[in-house]
Amino acid sequence: MLEINSLAKSFGGVQVLNDISFKVEEGQIVGFLGANGAGKTTTMDILCGCSGADRGEVKIFGHDITAEPLAAKAKLGYLPDIPPLHTEMVVREFIVFAAKLHGLRGDKIATRVAEVLSKLELHSVEHRIIGNLSKGYRQRVALAQALVHDPKVLVLDEPTEGLDPNQIVHIRELIKSLAGQHTIILSSHILSEVEQVCEKIIIIHKGTIVREGTYHNLVEEMESERSYILRVERNAAKLVSELEGVDGIAVPRLESNTISFALRQGAAADTTDKVARKVLDGGFGLRELALKAKTLEDVFFQVTK
Amino acid sequence: MRPSFAVTWTIARRDFVSFFSSPKGMAIFFFFLIFMGFFFHSFLESFINMQQRAPAMGGHAPQLEQLFRALFNNTHFILLLIIPAVTMASFAEENKSHSIRLLLTAPIRPISIVLGKYLAALMVMSLVLLSSMVIVLFTAKYGNPDIGVLLSGYLGLLFLISTQLAIGIWISSMTKNQFLAFMFTMLVLFLLLILNWIAQTLSGGGMMEDLLMYLAFWGHLENMVKGLITVKDVAYFVCLTSVFLFFTNVVLDSRRWR
Repeated sequence: MLEINSLAKSFGGVQVLNDISFKVEEGQIVGFLGANGAGKTTTMDILCGCSGADRGEVKIFGHDITAEPLAAKAKLGYLPDIPPLHTEMVVREFIVFAAKLHGLRGDKIATRVAEVLSKLELHSVEHRIIGNLSKGYRQRVALAQALVHDPKVLVLDEPTEGLDPNQIVHIRELIKSLAGQHTIILSSHILSEVEQVCEKIIIIHKGTIVREGTYHNLVEEMESERSYILRVERNAAKLVSELEGVDGIAVPRLESNTISFALRQGAAADTTDKVARKVLDGGFGLRELALKAKTLEDVFFQVTK
Repeated sequence: MRPSFAVTWTIARRDFVSFFSSPKGMAIFFFFLIFMGFFFHSFLESFINMQQRAPAMGGHAPQLEQLFRALFNNTHFILLLIIPAVTMASFAEENKSHSIRLLLTAPIRPISIVLGKYLAALMVMSLVLLSSMVIVLFTAKYGNPDIGVLLSGYLGLLFLISTQLAIGIWISSMTKNQFLAFMFTMLVLFLLLILNWIAQTLSGGGMMEDLLMYLAFWGHLENMVKGLITVKDVAYFVCLTSVFLFFTNVVLDSRRWR
């Protein structure tokens, strides 16, 4: 189990983390979601003992990462945002090296290395030099070093960053398959990834946790605020600026000719009538106006705007 | 609890092998041996000249030990270039490529990491030094040197190198820029080399001068090159090495709070 209490950190006077607290239960997969620069990697680094916090504590299965680093790190596997690889090494040799660093000895090394090689489908490249591998394979080698000692807690910082769609699907499937055996905390700025893989979601914005809960909790929380999509034939950008002036409408956004907007709580019943009238009167050419199912994206945009 | 030496050895072995997986390892051997060979050759030439002229000049013929004293003292200058090249990557490269996180997140003490990296560098330089002993073999075959004095001189160089490596690794641990690590290591090693010459100017005599003279490499190496191994000199090198390894440990361990 993983426990983080009141974590705070600043760099050169800028507060990067501000009173971060959360808990991850054993066997759970938790998604740590935030825009670039929200404080995800800083949190992960502190969590794994790579850097320190100004305040607060991190406990991994009851062991404080600062006071008892060896006991805490023994339960930890970390895949940082930049894979910690020695590119001049051969894949197998590197994984054996990681296993030895984590205290595996004797036959245990060969057994565990064989297990992770097959789990991550690395057998075909096990005798190749890491520097000559594709990005997808390198990411898998990095994941292998995090898994080789069978850690109880697995911390994955943007594991699918920079991979092609096939590789992304493979890594996601792999992470899902690890659920139950490992407690996983996965950071990402890709919403669909977190939505698909994680049981619990934590959204961080400017160093503060702004939402926390299951995907359904988060979406239900927003039900009082209904959102719509609107597609028009022409001048969508102009329509967006006109919609900004309509009472009861929150943050209209334009994305490839589709406008999405939300109705504020307590908006007048005829607000959508007003929208439709604006479209028709302005000659924008109405193509679609529909109630939109809530997604994590809506939650994310709402809490980080 | 796992014996930490196993981890230290794991790290040392990896670093040692990686040293020779790039042309860098070979380049270090090449430059050290080329420079040392050049010095040996030119000193030998003037040594033979002086020996031939000695009867005519009515003076004493120079001793082989004097030739080696000159050679060892000049090796000190070669080391100013070689040591920073060996240690610059030690931590700086891992800091830059972020592979340092592999070591930092493993359940190992920072001192095991420091000792592992130090041991790797020491093994590389010991091999370099060993390969340069071909000069000793050459002299033993064609001359009649005092082997004891030569070995004492080599021991002095080994002590000097082990201290210089500790300083280089400490500087490398504070940066992610290998070039900076190289330049600063060279600067510090150079200062320690010339300290006995500038001690008088810096301190104006008295206790301060004695202290600066004691801190300089020169005197301690000079004794061993002459064939004099004293506890005082060995203690100097061992203490200085331990201090800089401790500093490196502090730099690494402080990441928990920084």
